[in-house]
Amino acid sequence: MGVAQGRRAHLGELERAVMDYLWSLAPTNTNHPTAPTNSGAPPGEPAPTPPQRAATVREVHDALAQARDIAYTTVMTVLDRLAKKGAVEQIRDGRAYLYRPAVTLDALTAELMHDALGTVDAESRASALVRFVDTASADDAAALRAALAKLERREY
Amino acid sequence: MLSGPLPVTATPLILTTMALALAGPAPAWLARAKWPRRVPRAALVLWQALTLAAVLSALGAGASVATLAVHGDQLNLGMVLLHAAAFVFTLTVLARLLWAAHTLGTSLRARRRRHRQLVDLLSHIDQRAPGARILDARETFAYCLPGLSSRLVISSSAVDVLADDELRAVLEHERAHARARHDLVVEGFAALHSAFPWFGRSRAALDAASGLVEMLADDAARRRTGALPLGRALVRLADATVPAGTLGSSGTSPLVRIQRLAEPAPTTHRGFAAAVYVASMALIMVPTLTVATPWLAYVSAGI
Repeated sequence: MGVAQGRRAHLGELERAVMDYLWSLAPTNTNHPTAPTNSGAPPGEPAPTPPQRAATVREVHDALAQARDIAYTTVMTVLDRLAKKGAVEQIRDGRAYLYRPAVTLDALTAELMHDALGTVDAESRASALVRFVDTASADDAAALRAALAKLERREY
Repeated sequence: MLSGPLPVTATPLILTTMALALAGPAPAWLARAKWPRRVPRAALVLWQALTLAAVLSALGAGASVATLAVHGDQLNLGMVLLHAAAFVFTLTVLARLLWAAHTLGTSLRARRRRHRQLVDLLSHIDQRAPGARILDARETFAYCLPGLSSRLVISSSAVDVLADDELRAVLEHERAHARARHDLVVEGFAALHSAFPWFGRSRAALDAASGLVEMLADDAARRRTGALPLGRALVRLADATVPAGTLGSSGTSPLVRIQRLAEPAPTTHRGFAAAVYVASMALIMVPTLTVATPWLAYVSAGI
């Protein structure tokens, strides 16, 4: 169990490293004539494919191997997992596959922040997340500080 | 063939009355009451008992009318239609509940899985917030992504703005949510509300449950870090929060939570909590035994 969890955490960390590398590859999507900006697109919809250079497994492995001891097959496994999750695209190139991000970093970040800041589930109330402070709260700052002052008096 | 203190034909009437009382006035009273914040765990159990008893009464009322038709003596068309309607009502209530629970659960799990993938790809780890994922953001926020594989998430701005003990209090609060699976408790009330949004006080029950689990998590955090760091963290993170789609959320407001931290801990109300637990048990047991038993005996005698 512990080993399995450790392995999952390790894979998660590798997935992040792989995506970071793929996103770092020539993000030429600024000034691309056909690619609309993602700022106006509703999150959740697939963002337009970024015109981004695709990488071979070898390239990804070489990049990751600079910082850690990692096997070529492990990189293949990680890329395969990412493809299954829809995070990267597989492009056939002769006998090999090329990989590139399916979604831009900006689009993914926007989607994550949209969820995290609670603009989604205000309506249904059945929240996917349990927040420390509900975004619906609109307490007066002065009232909050007064309540805190009372708590401080009690604690000391 | 009477085997109980009540005539069998009274069963549907009593159960209907109970269902209406438990769906309307009782939750309205409990939602207004001030004492639940002193014993949040017991109050949450009482809400569950109240809700379960209401649903069971409604189902029992429909089922008892429907079965009385089968065993009854006066079989005319009007009675048959009435009983058929009661039977259909019971099935509809049950089907709606199950369907709402299913669709809500499915969509929540899908959204959480997607969000977890995003968090795992875009967050990083920092030893200042052990056990948590950090997202780079200007906004200050912290949340728990519940589930079998849960995540504690906090924004980089929140890590920066909170003192060490305040950060610990926030993380302990979120850890308590993840550990105790508070999401499942709230999900039950949410399913009921989405099945019957217009009926009774299902919304009050959902709001109350959401508030009570916050209090439970606060209590868990204060046991570990003390009340003061938690109170300060609440002020810091509430100050910065933008009221988005403003909903009047009841009982969960940071102000109430800070005021509550200045009150005696729930452990000082053990006797009171025990009384609430007993009341919760009674709420489910007593109607089942006194009302449903004679009817069940009558039905089984007829078979």
